[in-house]
Amino acid sequence: MNNFLILNMGAAALLIGIGIYCLLTMKNMVKLLIGIEIIAKGVTLALVATGMTKNNLMLAQSLVISVIVVDVAVIATALAIIISINRHTKSLDVRKLTKLKG
Amino acid sequence: MIGLVVFSILSVLVHDLLKAAISLAAASIFLALLFFRMNATYAGVFEISVVAGLITVLFITAIALTRSDEHVQESKYHLLVFPLFFLALVIIDILVMKNLLGKIPAVTSPETGTFGEILWKERSFDLIGQIGVIFAGVLAVLALFRSRIKSQQGGKHE
Repeated sequence: MNNFLILNMGAAALLIGIGIYCLLTMKNMVKLLIGIEIIAKGVTLALVATGMTKNNLMLAQSLVISVIVVDVAVIATALAIIISINRHTKSLDVRKLTKLKG
Repeated sequence: MIGLVVFSILSVLVHDLLKAAISLAAASIFLALLFFRMNATYAGVFEISVVAGLITVLFITAIALTRSDEHVQESKYHLLVFPLFFLALVIIDILVMKNLLGKIPAVTSPETGTFGEILWKERSFDLIGQIGVIFAGVLAVLALFRSRIKSQQGGKHE
């Protein structure tokens, strides 16, 4: 069981690392949201794996559902903002969002 | 698990946004299968229906609405940097994870009751928060699209 937890937590850490890499290096706004989504996947995997190992699977699932609901709200709002920005700048490039730059 | 990590990497590295969104959906399906194997059926059903379904539809709609001829220029060194980053991540993961896992505190008492009881009785405060987040999201989307319609109407009058 402990090996199973180590394997799952390792995969979760990999997913979070891939998501952070995506957030740090990508310039496309939709790709940044995909990075956030990958981080959320890692977090849900870590929650369920820990809940299963510690005999608290139902509580872990309720937390996962909370994470998913919040994630959907964040993604929907962020995509609406991206569409709005795209109408103004005609681009998805984050480097062009320099209007607030001093 | 391998499929989950591989499709997540694909969704980051693929240039076409549509293919990236579909890779993300495939990764969600693999994660849901993993949840089903761990007996977490409710989380698996939510993962398939909401993340693989709804979020993919949202992504594809947004990509269709923002299709522009301009190609966002990403860094040229991805194919060189990402394998090195991934290798470093795996090594750190192996070194750190075993030590960290011993420090997870044990649960004082194993849970009793069904999923519904735990969700409604123990996590009821979370549910109120979730309802608030959903309303905030809906209001934000409405506000963003309404301001755009107004600005379009203003443009027509001019």
